[in-house]
Amino acid sequence: MKFNLKKYRISSMLLILVILVGSCKKDLVEKNKGNFVKSNYFTNAGQAHAFVTGIYQKLYLFLNGDAYGESPFITIELFAGHTTSLGQSVNNNNVINNRTDAVNPGFEDVWSNSYNAISNANIALAEIPKIGSMADDDKKATMGEAYFLRAFFYYHLVRLYGDVPLIVTPVTLNSPDLYPARTAAAAVYDQIISDLKAAEASGLPETDQTGKVSLGAVRTLLGSVYLTTAGFPLKKTENYALAAAEVLPVLSDYTLFDKYDYLHDNAHKNQGELIFQSQYKVGVVTNAIPQLTLPFNLQVGAYGDHLGAMIPTNGFFNSYDNADLRKQERQFYFSSYPNHNDPTQTINFGVHALYKYFHKESENIGNSAADENWTFLRLPEAMLIYCEATNEVSGPTAAAYAQINKIRARALLPPLSGLSKDDFRTAIWRERYHELAYENKAYFDIQRTHMIYKVGTDTFGDATSTPNEQGVTMKAQYYLWPIPQREISTNSKLTQNTGW
Amino acid sequence: MVWPQLSKIILAMKLTVIIMVAVLTNVSAKTYSQVVTLHQKNASVEKVLRSIEKQTGYHFMYDKQDVSKASAINIEVAGVSLEQALDLAFKDQPLTYKIFQETIVVKKKDVPEATVADIKLSGTVSDSKGPLPGVSVRIKGSDIGTQTDVNGKYNLTVPDNATLVFSFVGYNTQEVAVAGKTVLNVMMAESQKALSEVVVVGYGTQKRVDLTGSVGSVSAKGLQERPQTNLEQELAGKIAGVNVSTNSGAPGGATKVRIRGYSSINTNTDPLYVVDGVVWTEGGNSINPNDIESVDVLKDASSTAIYGTRGANGVILVTTKRGKKGEGTVSYDSYVSVSHMAKEIPVLNSAQFLAVEDQSYANIKKYDPAGWAAGNYVDDDPVKIRTGLIGKLFDSNLKPLYDVDWQKATTRTPVSQNHNLTFTGGTDKINYGFFLNYADDEGIILNSYLKRYNARLTFDNQIKPWLKVGATLNYNAQDQRTADDGTGGNNIPRMLIEMIPIIPIKYPDGSYGKRTDYPNMEGGDNPVAQANEIQAIYRKRIFSGNGYLNVNILPGLEFRSTLGVTTGANYNPHFQSGLVGGATADQANSSASISEANNTFWQWENHLTYNKTFNKVHTLNVVVGQEKQNFQQTGFGASTSGLSDNYYQYYNLGAGSIPGIPSSNYDAWQMSSFFGRINYNYKEKYLLTVTGRQDGSSRFGTNVKNGFFPSAAFAWRASQEDFLKDNKTISDLKFRASYGLTGNSEIGEYRSLANISTVNYVFGGKQAIGTQQTSIGNDDLSWEKTAEYDLGVSLGLFNNRINIEADAYLKKTKALLLNAPLPETSGFTSVYKNIGRLQNKGLEITINTQNIKTADFSWNSSFNISFIKNKILQLGESNDDIFLAPTFLSQFNLMRVGLPAGSFYGYKVLGTWGTAEATEAAKYGLLPGDLKIQDTNGDGKVSSDDKVILGKSIPDGYGTLTNTFRYKNIDLGVDLQFNYGNQIMNLTRHSGQDRTGQANSYATVLNAWTPTNQNTSIAEDRPAFVRYQTEIYSTKVESGNFIRGRAVTLGYTFPTNMISKIKLSRLRVYAQAQNLFVITKYTGYDPEVSTYNTSSNFTQNIQFYDYPKPRTFLLGVNVSF
Repeated sequence: MKFNLKKYRISSMLLILVILVGSCKKDLVEKNKGNFVKSNYFTNAGQAHAFVTGIYQKLYLFLNGDAYGESPFITIELFAGHTTSLGQSVNNNNVINNRTDAVNPGFEDVWSNSYNAISNANIALAEIPKIGSMADDDKKATMGEAYFLRAFFYYHLVRLYGDVPLIVTPVTLNSPDLYPARTAAAAVYDQIISDLKAAEASGLPETDQTGKVSLGAVRTLLGSVYLTTAGFPLKKTENYALAAAEVLPVLSDYTLFDKYDYLHDNAHKNQGELIFQSQYKVGVVTNAIPQLTLPFNLQVGAYGDHLGAMIPTNGFFNSYDNADLRKQERQFYFSSYPNHNDPTQTINFGVHALYKYFHKESENIGNSAADENWTFLRLPEAMLIYCEATNEVSGPTAAAYAQINKIRARALLPPLSGLSKDDFRTAIWRERYHELAYENKAYFDIQRTHMIYKVGTDTFGDATSTPNEQGVTMKAQYYLWPIPQREISTNSKLTQNTGW
Repeated sequence: MVWPQLSKIILAMKLTVIIMVAVLTNVSAKTYSQVVTLHQKNASVEKVLRSIEKQTGYHFMYDKQDVSKASAINIEVAGVSLEQALDLAFKDQPLTYKIFQETIVVKKKDVPEATVADIKLSGTVSDSKGPLPGVSVRIKGSDIGTQTDVNGKYNLTVPDNATLVFSFVGYNTQEVAVAGKTVLNVMMAESQKALSEVVVVGYGTQKRVDLTGSVGSVSAKGLQERPQTNLEQELAGKIAGVNVSTNSGAPGGATKVRIRGYSSINTNTDPLYVVDGVVWTEGGNSINPNDIESVDVLKDASSTAIYGTRGANGVILVTTKRGKKGEGTVSYDSYVSVSHMAKEIPVLNSAQFLAVEDQSYANIKKYDPAGWAAGNYVDDDPVKIRTGLIGKLFDSNLKPLYDVDWQKATTRTPVSQNHNLTFTGGTDKINYGFFLNYADDEGIILNSYLKRYNARLTFDNQIKPWLKVGATLNYNAQDQRTADDGTGGNNIPRMLIEMIPIIPIKYPDGSYGKRTDYPNMEGGDNPVAQANEIQAIYRKRIFSGNGYLNVNILPGLEFRSTLGVTTGANYNPHFQSGLVGGATADQANSSASISEANNTFWQWENHLTYNKTFNKVHTLNVVVGQEKQNFQQTGFGASTSGLSDNYYQYYNLGAGSIPGIPSSNYDAWQMSSFFGRINYNYKEKYLLTVTGRQDGSSRFGTNVKNGFFPSAAFAWRASQEDFLKDNKTISDLKFRASYGLTGNSEIGEYRSLANISTVNYVFGGKQAIGTQQTSIGNDDLSWEKTAEYDLGVSLGLFNNRINIEADAYLKKTKALLLNAPLPETSGFTSVYKNIGRLQNKGLEITINTQNIKTADFSWNSSFNISFIKNKILQLGESNDDIFLAPTFLSQFNLMRVGLPAGSFYGYKVLGTWGTAEATEAAKYGLLPGDLKIQDTNGDGKVSSDDKVILGKSIPDGYGTLTNTFRYKNIDLGVDLQFNYGNQIMNLTRHSGQDRTGQANSYATVLNAWTPTNQNTSIAEDRPAFVRYQTEIYSTKVESGNFIRGRAVTLGYTFPTNMISKIKLSRLRVYAQAQNLFVITKYTGYDPEVSTYNTSSNFTQNIQFYDYPKPRTFLLGVNVSF
């Protein structure tokens, strides 16, 4: 056989090439140019700010939901018993009729998203102090927002689920907190109070009109926490005084709107009496509040499907004094509206829907342009916290009358005076129901007072023996939500709430 | 001399009949183990044969002419076997015999001429690619012969007037006269059957008989029997164990390919496509089926382990057509087809719709007495509503003006076409091919289509005797307009059912009718308007090229380097005009968006192949190689809404008043691998294959970037053993056993990392970017590992007229790349973790028979069936149930230990509550006329604890039966598909049957409960806004069994002598009906369905309004010249 030198040269060259290519251990490290990973993040102040903004984004959880009206802000309201749901939701109807169970996805939504927010707050609080290039003041204020938000979500968790796992450091696959047990509610509240105090001391501004946490928001939330802990189940009555003291500065930092319309328009977001809201903006993030709260499939505005998922009961609507401005058409409620397809026709709803959440700006454009903010805290709540707390400490005071009568005056109701401590308490509760109606306050009031509002008689009755206007008597287990079944299945250390 | 001719014909006919009968009835016929005694002197042959007939019961057949030439027989035997007796009787006679079952055929012996002087002959046998080892060289009419060595050389001593027969599997057998030459070089040509005989395996080819693993193959001809625009659809039913579901009737279909079950829960279970040795990253549906020479599917782990981490789902190896040496060929293949909607589902017409509404309204007082009394429903009174619409929708008698059949209105009878033009040719050293394709596949829903333009150029050049190079360039342009990817009310297939019949397509003034024109209706829009006014377009431009270099380094040692590059540009615009999407025509409803994804993939692979035969009995084939792969995607998206004018469509996003937030993304992965394979065979009897692959992938945790995947297989060709070699019945028998480990890495990118993603928030009325940690991070994330055992047998009977191939396998997947649930208290809902085990067991049987084969008539059958059993063995840390997408009404797609993956979970409906059961119903808060749900645990309430398993999505078995008949130039093929054992989750009953009064409903609601029709499982009519029950019910679960007449083809091939006059070498015309019938109890459009193709692995047979399937009739032509 002829020996072909050239042939061997070429092939040996190729062999060498193969060996070279093979041995050159080109890195198999994943590069993602579109996003950070934790190991290359937290290097400057901007990244810290963005990360805290990410926690705010979880405030949307209350409005997240589906076309059946299964949205946490509706579910929470259904627990108070004054809401019907005309949508297609089997789960909503089960809640109304006290037939729901731990697999209702709404329970998991709130749990999951709240802990996600807490997890991000824990990461922020652990990582921000390590950023060398960030100014100390900036660190303090940024962490103040994170403290507030962590407290905000724990406050929802502890009220809705009772004893919940308390986790305050970042969780990894190897950390003991991956499978936590439940922490006593009292300890969770201690953490909430301590976080809010840290936020209070972090140098936040008194008010903020961009949607960020302000000192007013911290104080109102802490006031609410004190008021709640003074009631069931902790009964720390010494906290009434703390509540009153906490909200007092808020009362002068904010002012009531002249018109109820301002509560749900775009021009007055984060202003006047609005203390803390989640923020929406067309083209960035929109919400479906109008669509969810309009009566079922009536052409009110251009919202496509109208879901009727949160409709006040007639009983509740009728509980307002007839003179109450809030009861008048297109104040808090409305019962008819021009047909969007043919404005010469008027649609009569047959029910009273929430004008409080109607969004004029998007009625002709539809859902893609519905961007009213969702309000978590506003001045009347702070005022009523002040009234209730001072009443428990020292009975009705002039300062307290002054606060509640401002709310009543705006509603064109006569001022209150000369009431006993008990009657004043009832009056304050009634005012909470009427002023803060459908703002996710009523259920939490039932939890801490164990009383429900009897709309027919305008009085309060024991929560678990007084049937509501829909004929349902609340089961004792409904003081708390169940721990989501998925969590029980995944973490054997968790126990279920009584009755669920 | 008429009689002998005639008797020959009769003999042939008799023979045919006998063979047919034998083959069809008598695979296990008992043998006549006979003893013969003969005492004959000077007897005629016929006399001897008659004597044997009497003694044995065997029948003889012979040609009198042949027999008459025989001389007298003298025979004296006692107690010998039939064969011995015959051998002796015919010893000196010009006769021979052959035994077929009970028939002995006697015929003239080919008498060799007197031998002449022997000469020493040598030569080389080669094919277009070079020397061909292993070719059998035999002297015609004898058993004397040899084989070519690894260099294609042979030496043989032959008579100088001999004729040599050269044969090799996959090549045309050649006979060459020696004619006194001493050197005889022969060029072998690949036979048409070549590719069914030689199998493409990873990094090489093998003779099918030498295979140790399980590989299924389809040739171009097999694929083109049922032409489609999509390769996957053509592949359907061709190979046992390969389940191709065409889940939509849309052009191009939405196909899902599963090879041997479902070996992963969260990881992609699509097979790996490798085209001409290069991984194909643009999806099986973007390969032009007309470019394909053959498809080989690697099924068991011993075959796929050489693809390591990407082998667990099976590998589909595509070999494309190339030029061939010889005279240039031009061929043209084309078809035109007409389709129509194969099935229409009964829905309410106008009169029925209004009657149901009247009844529902009347029933309100039963279901909401308080609201009724309070007058809440006064405005919902149908009479009041209809009176308000007199002139628009109703006449003065309140009779509807319109009655639209929306299924008819929105569909059409489209005409589709497909044209392929091929130029190939070649010389000794160079060959080329140029392939062009134009396909226009029009859908049955208005305006939906798939168009493809494809061009491919191939080139191979033997530059030097030791060096060969080749290249392929491929350009594929594909434009698709869909009609079924909208959601909610924008889903056209849904609106075919739910659009109400009383609304017109368009009013006399030209404006579209809308469902909201009738009060209380949902906002879903007129499907004709949607088909016209919504453009969902998917444009794909693929440019791919690959080149190879082959170097013969030493005899038997070859080096091959392949570089492949694929770029895919996806441009997906979407436009909705202001005429749809809202209660009135309004530009605010208009929107436009464009999303783009640009992919670049390259692969560089180098391997050495070494072939050597030692001592003529040990054959060794070794492959060692290395490979790099790199993929990168950059994506971009922009959107806007509120366009100032519909004119702009998606061509001017700046014309929108509410721009969306633009998006872009980057995705990349790399792999680096080494692989090797040893094939060893001993005397073609014992075959052994050992493979291994080491893969490094960027996708995994920093602690585990590399994995190793070994396999081994053994085969025994029993038919090569002496005791079977000359067996008359068994012509081929092979046993195979294999074990291997394969991986699955298809979880996508960045799964092991603690990712921080951006989110949008708003501060001060402006967008504010936030970041969130979205995954917990797992540095130990590694491959999913599937261990697979395979036992196979191949059996050929009666000269391979019956071929049976059977494989049993057990696939155990461990370290599942499970998206395992985490306690949500961690801040994360799940983590990709190697946990959990899954098992697939199966049996695949393929039977091919040549029932009849004569010169003029043939009948072939091909039957394959695959049985499969899937079971989950272990899930996350606490084995808790996992529910996969979709979630619809509730989580129902259940993964539970001990059950098959993808079980359906929900409530059992027992019927409706009867009037007599009012008290019982009241305990559940229900009334007579409401659905009666099984209270499984009997606790007096219906809660999630009462849910039960309602079915499963994975079939027990599926397969195909194909019969092909040919009479002279006419061919007829009948292709039946069957599937059984699974259920279909028909979610459409939620909106189409559970509720009435806000959309149109299935005609089944006419069987709703009434006081006189209580034996039904459909609740009493009432407006859904007052009351209705809907959940995942047993009434939504239907049997998925079906038999489909997939294709019936009638073809005619023009005789060569006729067409050669017009310079053609081949001309065939055919007519075909596809999806001719479906036998099923399923009530939807088609039982092969899923509308959640991309959301998870276990969404097969879950549907919420699918694109209806067409029945297609096509006319085709194949021309070559």
